[in-house]
Amino acid sequence: MTGGPGDGGPAEPPARDQAATGGPPGDGRPPATGRLPTIGEPPAGEDAGPGHGATALAAGRAGPGQVATALTGLREPVVVILLLIAFFTWISGKPLDGVLMLVVGVSLAADAARQARHGGPPESRPAGSGPQDSAAAPATAGRRRSLALALLAGGCLYVLVVGSFSRYSWPATVPVVALGTVVVVTGWRGPRHSRPAPVKLPAIGLALWGLVLVAGCLWELSALLGQPTLTTSSYAHPTISTLTDPVLSTWAGRSIVLAGWLGLGWFLVER
Amino acid sequence: MNTHDVTVLGYLVVLLAGVVLQLLATRTRAPIPPLGKVFAWAMSTRTRRIGVLVAWAWVGLHFFAR
Repeated sequence: MTGGPGDGGPAEPPARDQAATGGPPGDGRPPATGRLPTIGEPPAGEDAGPGHGATALAAGRAGPGQVATALTGLREPVVVILLLIAFFTWISGKPLDGVLMLVVGVSLAADAARQARHGGPPESRPAGSGPQDSAAAPATAGRRRSLALALLAGGCLYVLVVGSFSRYSWPATVPVVALGTVVVVTGWRGPRHSRPAPVKLPAIGLALWGLVLVAGCLWELSALLGQPTLTTSSYAHPTISTLTDPVLSTWAGRSIVLAGWLGLGWFLVER
Repeated sequence: MNTHDVTVLGYLVVLLAGVVLQLLATRTRAPIPPLGKVFAWAMSTRTRRIGVLVAWAWVGLHFFAR
């Protein structure tokens, strides 16, 4: 998980500049007026936003060594994990999940490959450079509080309304996919807040957390493979989905789980 | 104890392991970071951040979306 081409450290230069200009980090100047953009340089005014992945995909089609460059993206462990999730999700009867995972995995691979080709890390805003750092004026505190209250009210409405729909129905699917997409696209643009450089965590501790995560995934996978078929649940080998079915069969249960999901998402976005 | 119980026990063991790690991280001087710091570390690069957020989105899709 570390040291790969896509693993930029906190001290590394912003990639949004890089993505926008194709030039060196920090070179955020637009092309001079009156001249055409050169190869690898996007048109003036183009920025690395939500379409950043698409830009990366387009960039991946140009230049020599395309295959080698594309394979560079596959060196990212996260990309491999996403592609594995896409595969297992697809064969377990959830093609929509599989396609979404595949899209993100391929976009991330292309992005990592593009970063490797340009020799830069894919990190965005460093600590201290965001507009919010200088916006610590007391005048904004009230506005932030109002925004937080509005988000809280919206979240409550979301969990109550979406929780009222039965699982796996289109009315439940659309808002969940929409919110997931918004959060991932937001994460792609960069962290919401600038923050101090994270300290280097002890490798043994990270390995232990990773071990717990992998053990949980493997245990779930073994239960999935123990089912009569991948799409038929089993009492003898219950997956987490099977175990949570009774809770998620009620409006209150669905709303509570959705509230937890929203809260976790907010916690992650705020990291 | 049947296979259902064993399977559920396995999930509980994994959950308990996570709780123990968090306690070790916050209550002792063991070289184990608390989960919050692990997430902060994970969110510090784009690749890992997207991986974490996609995993979160996948949970919602898995339990609610068709």
